[in-house]
Amino acid sequence: MAVNKKALTDREKELAKAFEETKEMLRKCEHQVGMVMDLNKCIGCQLCSMACKTLWTSKEGREYMWWNKVNTMPGKGSPKDWEKMGGGYKVKFGGKVMEPVRGKHPTRKEFGDMWDYNYNDVFQNEAGKVHLQARNQVDGSEPDWAMNWDEDQGAGKYPNSFYFYLPRICNHCAYPACLDACPRNAIYKRDEDGVVLIDQDRCKGYRFCLEACPYKVIYFNFVTEKSMKCIFCYPRLDEKVANACARQCTARVRWVGYVDKPDSIIYKLTKVWKVALPLHSEFGTNPNVFYVPPLAPHRLTPDGKIDTSKPRIPRGYLRYLFGPEVDSALATMEKELAKVRNGGRSELMDILKAKDWHGMFGEFTKDPALMERKPPKGAKFTRPMP
Amino acid sequence: MEKIECKKVSISTRQLLDCDNGVWRGGKHVIETAATPLANQPSPYIKGTYDENKIGAVKKIAIKSVHNGKDIAVFLEWESPTPNLKIKDINIFPDGVALLFPFKNIDKTPINEMGTQDYPTNAWYWRPDFDEKPKNQVSHGLATSLYTEKSSLVSNSKWKDGKWRVVMARPLKASRPGERTVDLAPGKSIGIGIGVWEGANGERGGVKAFSKEWRALVLEA
Repeated sequence: MAVNKKALTDREKELAKAFEETKEMLRKCEHQVGMVMDLNKCIGCQLCSMACKTLWTSKEGREYMWWNKVNTMPGKGSPKDWEKMGGGYKVKFGGKVMEPVRGKHPTRKEFGDMWDYNYNDVFQNEAGKVHLQARNQVDGSEPDWAMNWDEDQGAGKYPNSFYFYLPRICNHCAYPACLDACPRNAIYKRDEDGVVLIDQDRCKGYRFCLEACPYKVIYFNFVTEKSMKCIFCYPRLDEKVANACARQCTARVRWVGYVDKPDSIIYKLTKVWKVALPLHSEFGTNPNVFYVPPLAPHRLTPDGKIDTSKPRIPRGYLRYLFGPEVDSALATMEKELAKVRNGGRSELMDILKAKDWHGMFGEFTKDPALMERKPPKGAKFTRPMP
Repeated sequence: MEKIECKKVSISTRQLLDCDNGVWRGGKHVIETAATPLANQPSPYIKGTYDENKIGAVKKIAIKSVHNGKDIAVFLEWESPTPNLKIKDINIFPDGVALLFPFKNIDKTPINEMGTQDYPTNAWYWRPDFDEKPKNQVSHGLATSLYTEKSSLVSNSKWKDGKWRVVMARPLKASRPGERTVDLAPGKSIGIGIGVWEGANGERGGVKAFSKEWRALVLEA
């Protein structure tokens, strides 16, 4: 597999070194923004999805994309069964070796295609003859998947069935598999905030990034024939306005801020309280989106009494999603919750309640209505090539 | 260096663009193609996860070229069991073929790197979904190729009985603002290379088959 065992020529070694240096340059950033989402509070209303759709993905080949989506867990998510599609890295020797893992391309139907309805047929035929039907745009087949197709399905048996919502965007990883995969160096992290972007002028639609991203959050634009994904609302960040998905969230699920600044709320939740964890950290890309794991209500016995013998959401499942650190994160939350229940105060619970929403967005609290709608003069949207 | 003769003919460009025109019968030059070396892939992902033995499904390609004093036409024929015409889904890749030319000194222009910063290359890139308007592109080494704003290239293509037949044509002299490209002239010769992509094998970008050495395209005076 991979490079033949033959000895590399001096020129090949020289080229490999130059390519590695370029990737290193495209990966580096001065600071890193991130997001924390509290899965205890998400109500699956998809307002974040709609905010994102309205702002970024309503036209020009982006119609079928959901740069932000809310999946129900346990579930197959979108693209369907994305957790089994490969990509990312095998991390070895404490991160000294990052071995890329071959990934699979999701298909348009696995994401959930755009649908057309047979309105004209229904309208032009006698009442009752033809009924309204949806058809996939790609091949006219009947839709059988969408980003929330298995919404609220979950797992377990009544009265102990369970599910929770998992909002997903691009993780703007510290070690993005997509960036490494792109043979055109079209993918880079912004210097000022580490937002991962796909330079649309350099992208030629080869789709190696779609293979390599283990979270499968990159889409292919069939009109422009280029790859696209969540841009962490960077034009809003530039004007100190929080991401549309965060700002629109009715349940106050999302915090935005710098991962690496000790005074930021993201730092507090991830590094101080350690209650926010990356999804599938074993994929090796070091995400900058973190989740507060769900505690869920207690189980019930058949006669309706509270059963504290085991958690409603099997701990094994949460460990599968968020790693072994989920145990201490949940323990911390339970401890802090108990403090409040006993009449005490808890800084952590105050943060998670988010009574004052301003505190959720750090320096990004400007009203979007006051935004300059034109790009600022001299704004650079691409990084000059080395 | 192996030579490919480009004879002068008195046939209109419109006729040359017909893949079935008699001019394309016989006298073709067969070039062997091989996988692009993984060691040169500008992507740690491709380098680490692809198998060089499975890249480069097309093993040889037949080429013939003529000019009529005004335009040059290049005929290409290769085996492709199933045609991949367009990007129907995220996991589907179109077939393709490209001709590569050095802008400057051939000896200083590495074909397997598509040139260097100082010795760039020009590619004429055909794909079935380009509506018979192949793209003109310039490359200053691996990972740097870019389409030029304009392209004088036109093509005609047919897939039949497991084979692609493609004719690309263009004025001998075509460089202009917005189209940086090689200019050709009767009586002169230029280096030529070929890259070919088998869509069914997931080939795109640097994952392809190519002619490992430059040939000389010799234009009859």
